[in-house]
Amino acid sequence: MTKTVRNLLLAVLALAPAMTTAAPSGEALAFTCAGCHGTDGSSVGPSMPSIAGMDPEVFVDAMKDYQADKRNSSIMNRIAKGYTTQQLEDMAWFFARQRLHLLPQKYDAALAARGKILHDKHCEKCHEDGGRPGDAGTLAGQWMPYLQHTMDDFMSGKRDWPRKMKRKVDAAIADDGKQAIPALIHYYASQH
Amino acid sequence: MNTMPRRIASTALACLWAAVFSLCITPAAHAENAAPEGETILQHFDPATGKRIIPNERCLTCHGDEKEKTDVRDDGSKVNIFVHRDQIEASVHGEQRCNSCHTTISRVPHREAPEVIVGCVECHRSTWEKHKDDPSGEHERLKVVVEQIDSFMGSVHAQPSKLDESRTNATCYDCHDAHTVGKLGTQQREENRLKNPELCGSCHEKQLNEYRTSDHGKAVLEKKDSKAAVCSDCHTTHAITSPEGDAAKKAITKNCGDCHEDAQRTYFASYHGQVHRLGYTNTAKCHDCHGGHEIKGKDDPTSEIHANNRLENCRNCHTDANENFLSFWPHGDADDAENYPALWIAKVFMQALIFGVIAFFWVHVLLWLYREVMDRIQGKGFIEDRERPDIVYFRRFPAVWRWIHGLFAIATMTLILTGTTLLFSHTAWAKAVVNFLGGPQVEGIVHRTAAVLWLSIFVAHLAIALTNIWRKRQTFEWFGGTSMLPNWKDWDDLRGMFKWFLGRGPRPEFCHWTYWQKFDYWAPFWGTAVIGSSGIILFAPEATATILPGWMFNIATLIHAEEALLAAIFLNSVHFFNVHFRPERFPMSTTIFTGAIPIEEFKHDHRLEYERLVAAGELDKHLVKRPSRRADLAASFITSVLIMAGLALLTLVLIGLMTMPD
Repeated sequence: MTKTVRNLLLAVLALAPAMTTAAPSGEALAFTCAGCHGTDGSSVGPSMPSIAGMDPEVFVDAMKDYQADKRNSSIMNRIAKGYTTQQLEDMAWFFARQRLHLLPQKYDAALAARGKILHDKHCEKCHEDGGRPGDAGTLAGQWMPYLQHTMDDFMSGKRDWPRKMKRKVDAAIADDGKQAIPALIHYYASQH
Repeated sequence: MNTMPRRIASTALACLWAAVFSLCITPAAHAENAAPEGETILQHFDPATGKRIIPNERCLTCHGDEKEKTDVRDDGSKVNIFVHRDQIEASVHGEQRCNSCHTTISRVPHREAPEVIVGCVECHRSTWEKHKDDPSGEHERLKVVVEQIDSFMGSVHAQPSKLDESRTNATCYDCHDAHTVGKLGTQQREENRLKNPELCGSCHEKQLNEYRTSDHGKAVLEKKDSKAAVCSDCHTTHAITSPEGDAAKKAITKNCGDCHEDAQRTYFASYHGQVHRLGYTNTAKCHDCHGGHEIKGKDDPTSEIHANNRLENCRNCHTDANENFLSFWPHGDADDAENYPALWIAKVFMQALIFGVIAFFWVHVLLWLYREVMDRIQGKGFIEDRERPDIVYFRRFPAVWRWIHGLFAIATMTLILTGTTLLFSHTAWAKAVVNFLGGPQVEGIVHRTAAVLWLSIFVAHLAIALTNIWRKRQTFEWFGGTSMLPNWKDWDDLRGMFKWFLGRGPRPEFCHWTYWQKFDYWAPFWGTAVIGSSGIILFAPEATATILPGWMFNIATLIHAEEALLAAIFLNSVHFFNVHFRPERFPMSTTIFTGAIPIEEFKHDHRLEYERLVAAGELDKHLVKRPSRRADLAASFITSVLIMAGLALLTLVLIGLMTMPD
């Protein structure tokens, strides 16, 4: 009796790893992202966004946009096309579970203060809580060059504006002119 | 382990190593980082379903912003997006999450222009289904909601719109602002009541404009009196049907009465109301006279019931109505001595009469029953001698009187049945009878036909009786033993009977007619005068009104009913006992149909007459043979049927009386 139990136990232990290798986990899939987006999605590079702690539905939306070439990218659209929806969801949930580690950036405190006013007035309703991770993506603590690239894509028409966002950005520019976008970027950079 | 053979042990060891090795790899692929401390995005998702949780606070960030109550749609048009946080929180739905109802909202900010689609019905039904057996009763109110849903489903609002078949005429949120559905007794409900007319008026504009001019409308819309009638008080909230239909007409009349209790009570006492309460809408209803949406007091010259406009109302049905109709009291109240003294006096008199007659004769019946039962126990009284069966009979009634009594009984019972359906229109049996007859119009024809027959019989009888007296005018003694006229002996007999009842004297001996037979005979004379004359007044109202004032209808309706009630109770209890049910006669006497009474029985009940006839040598003229077996059976059959019918009528009348609403 004890022998049977023991052998069964051993067999299960021996087979367990083999079963998991059949489909790579979200975590395993996410290994490949680390090169650009940092370990577990906390980016250390200046133009790569952190994706740790990201809203999983926003993650999937973004990847699908890359798959459909709806977002301007260098190589992300090619990479995105390699995954199934299930794999995207697995990765999304993996990154959602990761803690976001932010590194301090140099920013202009006066601009950031101005940015906060603009954010509260025009951006906060969607990018809730100062742009912390949520259903409108993550802005707080993102690298400044990444934020700049993204805004350039929107402004130049390389990326479609999310619903209502153009109206809000136009309103912020109407308030602060050319200063508006840098002020917002400095504000987001100030949060870590 | 020690006893294990080496070879097997080494296999096991190899497996173990393999397992341990694999364990070293798998943690890297499997181990999950412990959930990061503090708030993470995972808190925005339901761990069980993986679905996003959108807290109401998140919705209210935009929809609760007082500074930005509107937004611009994608097409540039303005849209109100504001909701009152306090109202929602105070409403019955205060603890619901926004997207429990707004189920199409799954992302905030909305990726696409959101559709306002809410499925109220399914949610309320399934929630009630789930909680209906809860002992806490917390969801008890949902029962009402679900009932209202069913009413709505059968209403005209749930029908497809004629202009656009893809939608219903109205749906839940066309009327209910779910954000302000208050709990019972709350301020929110009061406020919603005041908003009701304008809400309904957003589709029913014409009706709203009419309503604004009415007393109800002014009270609600101008004085903000939430107690005054709003649309739903009359039309119901959910079971709304076309006002042309019977269901709506009945509901509206009932609903008026919810506030105007006295008006409804007095209306139901009138012919109009009686027919209505039977379930028919062909007589005048509240709104036929008072108007619907433009309802106003009688002093307002634009009111339909203002003295100058009232006759127009009457003429809607009574096309030939004349000025006399104006003095009719549509809400005449016999209990209101101050405003309707004539009606009050009529009622008091009739009720005193009913009470007096019935009380006296019921005591008479009970005492008589007591005495005869006591006598029989003691072996006294009239007992059939079976050794000497009845062979000789006394001829008591000629054929014409037997026919007259039979037809009179049938006509009277028909009148009682059809007439009391109106008096007791509140009962289920009255509704069933009228329905069986084919409605109040047919009933009216039957009642009038029976009335004509009844009066004709009465007149025919009078003619025959007077002719008979005329023929015997030389010898007829007006106050003699064979006369129906009351005399002093009747008074003595009555006193004698009471003495006998109480065991203080012998049973009186009677002439040809006893006093109770005389009472039974003369009662219809009074009845004819009262029921007949009031009946003729009511027979054809337009014709009557050419002579009599309108309030005569009120008086006539009252005394016609009260006198009929007296007759119905008296005939079917007292008369039945005196003739059929007292122990000497029980179960019945068939004399009125065979015309003959056994000579022994005649001797017992009419000894003085018997002795007079013997003394005069005239007895033989009145003796007849025993009726044939067939005639006897036929008479028993007819008598049985009439007794059964009479007892059934008595039962129905008593049910009606006892269940009479105040």
